Amino acid sequence: MKILIAVSNKEYSGPTLRVGIRVARAFKASTTIVDVGEKVSEFNAKVVGLSQERLESWNFDRPGVDVLEWAFEFLAEKKFIEPTEIEAGFPKNTLVDTGGNRSEVYLKGTICEDVNLILRNGEIISELRDEVAGHQYDVTIIGGSKKRRMAHDLIQYIDSSIFIVNQFDPDKLYKILLAVDDSKGTRKAVKYGARVAQAFNIDVDILTISKTEHFGEDYKNAAERAAKFIRRCGINYKNIYKVGDPSEVIKEVAGNNHIIVMGTSTRNPLKKFFKGSKPLKVMENCHCPILIVK
Amino acid sequence: MLGFSEHSLTNFLFWITQKKWFLITMVISVFLLFIPAPSGLSIEGYRSIVIVITALMLIVTEPIPLPAIAMYILVMEVYLGIGSANDIAKSFMNDAVFFIMGSLMLAVAIIKQGWDARIALGIITLTGNKTRNIVFGFTAISAILASFIGEHTVAAIMLPIAMTLIHFTSEDKEKVQNLSAVLLFSIAYGALVGSIGTPSGGGRNVIMIDYLRDSGLSMSYINWMLRVYPLVLIQIPIVSWVLMKSFTPEFIKLDSGVRKLVIQVAKSAEMTGRNTIAAVIFLLVFVGWIFFSESVGLGTIALTGVLMYLVGGFVKWEDLSKNTHWGVILLFGSTISLGSNIKTTGAAVWLAESIVNFIEPVINKLPFVADLIVTVMTTTMANVLSSSATVAVLGPITMNMGQDSMHLGMVTAIASAFGYFTAVAAPACTIVYSSGLVNAKDFLKVGWKMGVISIVLLVIYANTYWLFFR
Repeated sequence: MKILIAVSNKEYSGPTLRVGIRVARAFKASTTIVDVGEKVSEFNAKVVGLSQERLESWNFDRPGVDVLEWAFEFLAEKKFIEPTEIEAGFPKNTLVDTGGNRSEVYLKGTICEDVNLILRNGEIISELRDEVAGHQYDVTIIGGSKKRRMAHDLIQYIDSSIFIVNQFDPDKLYKILLAVDDSKGTRKAVKYGARVAQAFNIDVDILTISKTEHFGEDYKNAAERAAKFIRRCGINYKNIYKVGDPSEVIKEVAGNNHIIVMGTSTRNPLKKFFKGSKPLKVMENCHCPILIVK
Repeated sequence: MLGFSEHSLTNFLFWITQKKWFLITMVISVFLLFIPAPSGLSIEGYRSIVIVITALMLIVTEPIPLPAIAMYILVMEVYLGIGSANDIAKSFMNDAVFFIMGSLMLAVAIIKQGWDARIALGIITLTGNKTRNIVFGFTAISAILASFIGEHTVAAIMLPIAMTLIHFTSEDKEKVQNLSAVLLFSIAYGALVGSIGTPSGGGRNVIMIDYLRDSGLSMSYINWMLRVYPLVLIQIPIVSWVLMKSFTPEFIKLDSGVRKLVIQVAKSAEMTGRNTIAAVIFLLVFVGWIFFSESVGLGTIALTGVLMYLVGGFVKWEDLSKNTHWGVILLFGSTISLGSNIKTTGAAVWLAESIVNFIEPVINKLPFVADLIVTVMTTTMANVLSSSATVAVLGPITMNMGQDSMHLGMVTAIASAFGYFTAVAAPACTIVYSSGLVNAKDFLKVGWKMGVISIVLLVIYANTYWLFFR
């Protein structure tokens, strides 16, 4: 299992990192934290590189190193990396250029073998897509964004499950809202939902939605299978059956005290491109974190 | 669907979103090519204008790498019959391209010498510890250095000095926000107003000299300086005044910052024999530019300097090659080719006459209006494109917008340096912005003031002081 946590700065990325590390711990996943810095116009890329080299000789870090240092301190505080690593401090000198505007620091983890800190520069979706495609992450964890296009692109083009840490309040008691139906994606969503519930030590609401008053057998079976799995994991749960438009109902039930977990859309990419999808609609409207399982 | 997997369909959709500006540009280009050429313009002239429009769209939106845009220009020029393959290939290279190549390499060689510590000491000795004087010192030194060695070199050398001073004044960035802005902008804007001072201040100046030479007009290094340097000297105090007014620094004096900076640089500022020879080589290049550039070209002399640095072992070829953006050089070659082709196909004259006809009644009454239009047009383009590309493409047009090509050409070259408005257009602005200490919106906040002042000043200056050169 490999998890990618995308952070951008100390002010806003705290919740993302906090949730990310907790999930990584639950999955015992090899963890990578990436900061994607602003794209530099190609015209000036070389001279900017040259000037940053000069700055480094005056002991100034290039932009982004401070974010990785902050992430390192967070990992140290949570004892997510080996004590020897913590004692040695943030090894900025070992930030290796791995080509294509990407630099990496390798650390030894306590929960998993590898913890990597990465610096990239460029357009965010394109960089995350490259990173995920090149290193086969299972889950990408990222903070919420108000830009509709960004939400669409994340879901459509990043080839991993996406956990969007939207409006997360660490002091609030959350529940998992597990949206199930008869689609292929539900089984994996249930597994992920259970793991996240264990990570946060919280209850699960299993939500089944039908557009009509009549709930089909497949829907009922899916809800029961999910309940059985959650029960076996020793997690408290409740089955909720609702009628209505799925994305509207999910948003309503979730409110601001659930972490939504749902499978990705099975629509073909062209339809998703033009018409959007259920997870996208939920993501745009909800006021809580959401994990879309691919 | 049609044998494509979902994965490849997603890849294709992603490609479309990434390349949408390329696709839009291609659609516009096909559409324009199907419209008949306006009367009075040859078919080749019209097609070269279409290439200019589409190439500019690609440069601004950057959907494909810069060298790919250069290739696009090259193949379109040949396929659309603007010239034979050999003619187009020849139009890609001239002394200005050599100069841009040489100046980018000289920048690497000079920046690697580590003269920044010495310059830091020099500035502080001259200015003392009052913030006002330091800001003036930063602006003046940046402007004067940039007038000879180009804005990007100066910004890269000066940035660490300013950042050290800021860091030593306070480690809390919040407490020195205005001080950071005022010092970093004094570097960027100082370098910009300085870069017009001599031909070697920027590739755009050399491109203009080449265009003037093609029109049978000669402009020597000294002659350029006599015409333009006073404008540099006028603008230096203006830049520091506008900056001090726009961002009132948190500290009137930078006592501890200056003291700590002096201690830090004192050791590394000692000149070694090697440093001296490196400085002498640059001095030789400078002397060469002044006395021999008319006969052998500025590019040749810049490359002679690079050759000396390489032979003397002052810089490694690997460093030069790694830090020189070959794609940018290729792109400048292609924009110069575009410029020369809109000239030879008559498109430049046609465009210039169309603009002039449109504003003729005003120009007859107020002759300076032509200068104003050229200045505003150039400044606008230079803020979204690179300044050299602006001069390469716009130069042949603006030079034909009146009787005095020399006058209009010089106005174009100077106005292309007014890239104050955004953090992306001018290399000096991008470099200070990359420090992370100034916001993108600060460029517009103070840039519009500098833009208006510089435009008005240039129009007045060109219509008064230049009368002595007629």
